[in-house]
Amino acid sequence: MPDPTFMGVPRERISWFPTIDYGKCNFCMECDRFCPHQVFERREGDPRLVVANPVHCVVFCRACAKACGPDAISFPDKAETIAQIKQVRAEGGGR
Amino acid sequence: MTRAILACTGLDKPEGSVAREVAVAGAEAAGLEIVCPVLLHRAPARYKKILEQGALTVVDGCSTRCATRLAAQVGATVERKILVSDAAKRSGQPLEASLRLGPVGLALARSLVGDLLSAPPQAAPAAESGAEFEPPTEFLVVTYDKFEFRIPAVDYAFNENDVWARAVGGVARVGISDFLQQRLTDVSYFDPPPVGAVVEQFGEMGTLESTKAVFEIVAPVSGTVVAVNEAVRANPGILNEDPYGAGWLLEVTLTHPQQDLELLLDPAAYAESVNRRAAEA
Repeated sequence: MPDPTFMGVPRERISWFPTIDYGKCNFCMECDRFCPHQVFERREGDPRLVVANPVHCVVFCRACAKACGPDAISFPDKAETIAQIKQVRAEGGGR
Repeated sequence: MTRAILACTGLDKPEGSVAREVAVAGAEAAGLEIVCPVLLHRAPARYKKILEQGALTVVDGCSTRCATRLAAQVGATVERKILVSDAAKRSGQPLEASLRLGPVGLALARSLVGDLLSAPPQAAPAAESGAEFEPPTEFLVVTYDKFEFRIPAVDYAFNENDVWARAVGGVARVGISDFLQQRLTDVSYFDPPPVGAVVEQFGEMGTLESTKAVFEIVAPVSGTVVAVNEAVRANPGILNEDPYGAGWLLEVTLTHPQQDLELLLDPAAYAESVNRRAAEA
């Protein structure tokens, strides 16, 4: 799996992962085929893909969204995530 | 050189109709030869001359980027790219839902063709900053299986998205690491930010495309883009051959280098990070 920390902050304290809009998703699975980090998972009997391992997602990577034809994948605001990381570091929560 | 246009013509989305219109109007207005994606896929020999000596303007309807992937598959040189879904978003006017071209779609196609006519495919090379950047001579090497990942031993700083910065005076060169170029495999297109763009640390600094992915270049430093490596734009393969030297991407005048440096990894720390991640598929 990817590094357990990002910029010295434990990965689980950074809320950066994809969100799928099932109203737009066409179940083409292009995102799952691309992502090498097993962020997504297919469940038997369900055509939908789920974001099963959000902390595997590489912080600031948006490649799955850029590969999504129907534009169904969104990410948090980058500037807010950077501020969140800096805050954890300032509080001494980094490693 | 033969200039040609390859559009996705996707029949199941309104963006496909716009892409087709851009190709037809682009052919009429700019004298570009049309390359049919279906025929190119079925019988690439038909376009032998264009593929060997020409350059393509590629029009993708949506982010699936079928036309881009097709161009990469047949080894075509891409000089310009348009992504209709992005252009529609930027225009603030949602396209009609109908698969037939409506007034909004037609207006978007016209504006994209207007851009094609006004912007030359290869911008004049921007002046480099004049700072002297010697190529690295000493490397740390991380090995995994049959792979070797090289990291310059001094002077380079890395962010955790595999982008390096090397500062000389108040200017930094920016590029991607050997580890990332091997992960991306053959880079087929470099879409840089314009010279003059102001970028924040960890903001987007253009994109790189390979058949595998579109990679967002995450800025390792804050600053103003003062030069783009036009040699890499013309031949992205340089990036795979020499990621730390001739394959640099951008030059940036630094806004607050000391502050940025605190959030970057030195070569030894970056080597550890590569070592941990190398085992991933």
